[in-house]
Amino acid sequence: MNAGPTQQKPANQHLRRNPPIAGEAEAIAAAQAGDEKAFETLYALHKRRVYSLCLRMLGNVAAAEDLTQDAFLQLYRKIGTFRGDSAFSTWLHRLAVNVVLMHLRKKGLPQISLEEALEPSQDDGPRKDFGDRDLQLSGSIDRVTLERAIEDLPPGYRLVFVLHDVEGYEHNEIADMLSCSIGNSKSQLHKARMKLRDLLRTGQRKESAV
Amino acid sequence: MTDTGRPEINMTCAEFQERLPELFETQKDLSAEEHLKTCENCTALVRDLEYIAQQAKLLLPIHDPSPTVWDNIRTAIRSEPGKESPGRSSAPSAGR
Repeated sequence: MNAGPTQQKPANQHLRRNPPIAGEAEAIAAAQAGDEKAFETLYALHKRRVYSLCLRMLGNVAAAEDLTQDAFLQLYRKIGTFRGDSAFSTWLHRLAVNVVLMHLRKKGLPQISLEEALEPSQDDGPRKDFGDRDLQLSGSIDRVTLERAIEDLPPGYRLVFVLHDVEGYEHNEIADMLSCSIGNSKSQLHKARMKLRDLLRTGQRKESAV
Repeated sequence: MTDTGRPEINMTCAEFQERLPELFETQKDLSAEEHLKTCENCTALVRDLEYIAQQAKLLLPIHDPSPTVWDNIRTAIRSEPGKESPGRSSAPSAGR
């Protein structure tokens, strides 16, 4: 585990979405010693967030459940290596992100490397916006519409957007999870938001044309 | 290219938008930015991007996976070699 970046941030920064969970530390220690009940406790505490990440990345319930299962099996195999250098949920999320990326590569999303995942082709990227303010998004986007637009993002944009804007991870944590630079994470997030704006405005135009 | 020493008021939209990722990171109220006082287009852009980020925060959580996911995990870990001490043996490759 690379603990560097996570140790440099203010002590309470990761508490925004990773508040201390009662009983988690004890469950981790017991699970590391082989206690299946404790491992089940960890599953109960974290299944929703891992599953949410998988579902948002894949857009398919069956595949998301399969990857949730894979992620927790990986956790079972690797929990002995957790040393507490970062929040457990961040560590687990990193593991889940790797499972998702492996799956995307296997699916033949053409030999998707992390770098490629984080840098979609020009065609998939957002356009610069130097005009066209005919549509305003504010107040007009419901949850379902936003979820659908997120599904349409290129995988790399989607991953950084979900980790930062939906799940509340900081750029240093995302950089650690994805083994990329903090600047890369910031840049990808901005491009993801710009691309989402494109997608949402395009959807609005289609609706208004009907 | 962006000239970082250039007064904000003379900034082009392209230059302002290049600075946007860092500006958002400051979490300041961007309406005070000089460029936005005179540029409706970038003002609309900033408003939309802030709105998207705000709406995204409302998306969690989805819901739990079905109970069969844990059933499958439990079955799998009970058949793992060295299950009495997870993570301390060499891990077999993933796959069910």
